[in-house]
Amino acid sequence: MIVAVTTVIATTVRELLHVPDVEMLFLLGVMLVAATSERGPSIAASILSVAAYDFFIVPPPFTLDVEDARYVLTFVMMLGVGVVISTLSLRVREQERAAAQLAEETRRAALRAQTEELRSSLLSSVSHDLRTPLAAITGAATTLRADPELPAETRRELVETVCDEAERLERLLGNLLDMTRLEAGAVEPKRDWVPLVEIVGAALTRLDLQLAGRALTAEIPEDLPLLLADPVLLEQLLTNVLENAARHTPPGSPIELSARVDGERVVVEVADRGPGIPPGAEETIFERFRKGRHSAGVGLGLAIARAIAVAHGGTLVAASREGGGAVFRFELPGGDSPPASERAEGA
Amino acid sequence: MSSPGALVLVVEDEPQVRRFLRASLSSRGYRLLEATTAREARQLATSHNPDLFLLDLGLPDEDGVELTRDLRGWASAPIIVLSARGREEDKVKALDAGADDYLTKPFGVNELLARMRVALRHARAVPTEGALIEVGPLRVDSARREVTVDGVEVRLTPTEFKLLLLLARNAGKVLTHGMILREVWGPNATQAHYVRVQMAELRRKLEQDPARPRLLLTEVGVGYRLRDRWDD
Repeated sequence: MIVAVTTVIATTVRELLHVPDVEMLFLLGVMLVAATSERGPSIAASILSVAAYDFFIVPPPFTLDVEDARYVLTFVMMLGVGVVISTLSLRVREQERAAAQLAEETRRAALRAQTEELRSSLLSSVSHDLRTPLAAITGAATTLRADPELPAETRRELVETVCDEAERLERLLGNLLDMTRLEAGAVEPKRDWVPLVEIVGAALTRLDLQLAGRALTAEIPEDLPLLLADPVLLEQLLTNVLENAARHTPPGSPIELSARVDGERVVVEVADRGPGIPPGAEETIFERFRKGRHSAGVGLGLAIARAIAVAHGGTLVAASREGGGAVFRFELPGGDSPPASERAEGA
Repeated sequence: MSSPGALVLVVEDEPQVRRFLRASLSSRGYRLLEATTAREARQLATSHNPDLFLLDLGLPDEDGVELTRDLRGWASAPIIVLSARGREEDKVKALDAGADDYLTKPFGVNELLARMRVALRHARAVPTEGALIEVGPLRVDSARREVTVDGVEVRLTPTEFKLLLLLARNAGKVLTHGMILREVWGPNATQAHYVRVQMAELRRKLEQDPARPRLLLTEVGVGYRLRDRWDD
């Protein structure tokens, strides 16, 4: 193809140029072929070019006869240059391919190492966190088994320990499972239209004990639009943020939840009057296994909450609050309105 | 309000859980039958006619939801299913297949006993058509279509009343979104958010603080439950 095109061009150009300059055009054609295809077609293009050059250009035109002996040298040169160029460009391409392969392998190895590192840090962090409650349970239970004469008060304490620590273990495992599933992208939000007040209600019911004795206000405008979100995940998000507030602020200090529409987004804020967030830690608190100083948790709650926000196309950020305390702001993109509610009035 | 002597068929393949159930239930006067597979469960159910089923959804030989549907087909005793955390769909399926309630593992014994009491009470109760239903400050008079909270009358739309009556007649039981949709909106309704919107309206009228409901409880991802005892 390229040889044919070159020949056409060369024949036209011949009228305007000296004959020897035209061979350069053929070489250009050979180079093009060599740069883009395998060795066979490249050499074929070289030979074809020589033939076409001879047939169309070299006087007498339209024969394979050669009048001038120096054209024979030109043929040999053209053929030689064609072969050399194709070999060289082939070699360059091979090297490129090898380099790309190497880069891909390096990338994969790096990813493997990263995953491995993640896994081992996860494992070491988790096994420590799992062992602590397990140690407490084993200790308490074996004490109860070994000594039936324990004072009633001690027995009661040990039994409490078993119950509390088992609960902690359950929370921990639940968090780990959630985190793993969210990170693996295995959780696809099952979105539905939900009133925020229902989700808040469920979260507050779940946290009834942890929030006991606190002034907790929830200001949700009655006309707040329905959210298009996964109710189970959204409740998890709110529970984790509220639980975090309860855990890091003095007992009895207030927690304020509020919601509003801001442009296209629905904004939900959870504000407390605790110690606030240390400057510079606004982002790191969302990292996995990042524990607060007095935290009894594993440091997954906020990481999970953010992963849920992100899975919904939203954001979750934290900031210190004016006048002391922290505020967590969750933003969810507002969707269209749900299909109108068919009221079965009088039905 | 326990039910001494009630015969409970425990269908559970994990021996540790059976041991815990045996210990906690027999000490409270319940009689226990134990099955480890769906096949055994069917045999024991047929031969002993238990008063209550405690059924683990993860059985080795058959899907627990299938067993629930099958049992519901011919046994009238209440079925409480036990399932792992995070399997909301399984719970919904089991409830829609005829289970009366569910418990998420791990659960405490107090929670288990409370659910069993509710289930047994419902099983014994005469149908409450036309009766007066009272829960804490809430009073639903279905004959006169009257609802009061702390003696103050609350005006409800017909849909709200229908929804509340359904929940009240099943007080203490979880009703799935699907069940409520079918009962209140008819067999062709599919939009779960109708239920949620009406529920929010109902809470606004009946609850002191709709964001901290005391009567109309949400079982996230599953459905709703009207609290049946005020000081449980």
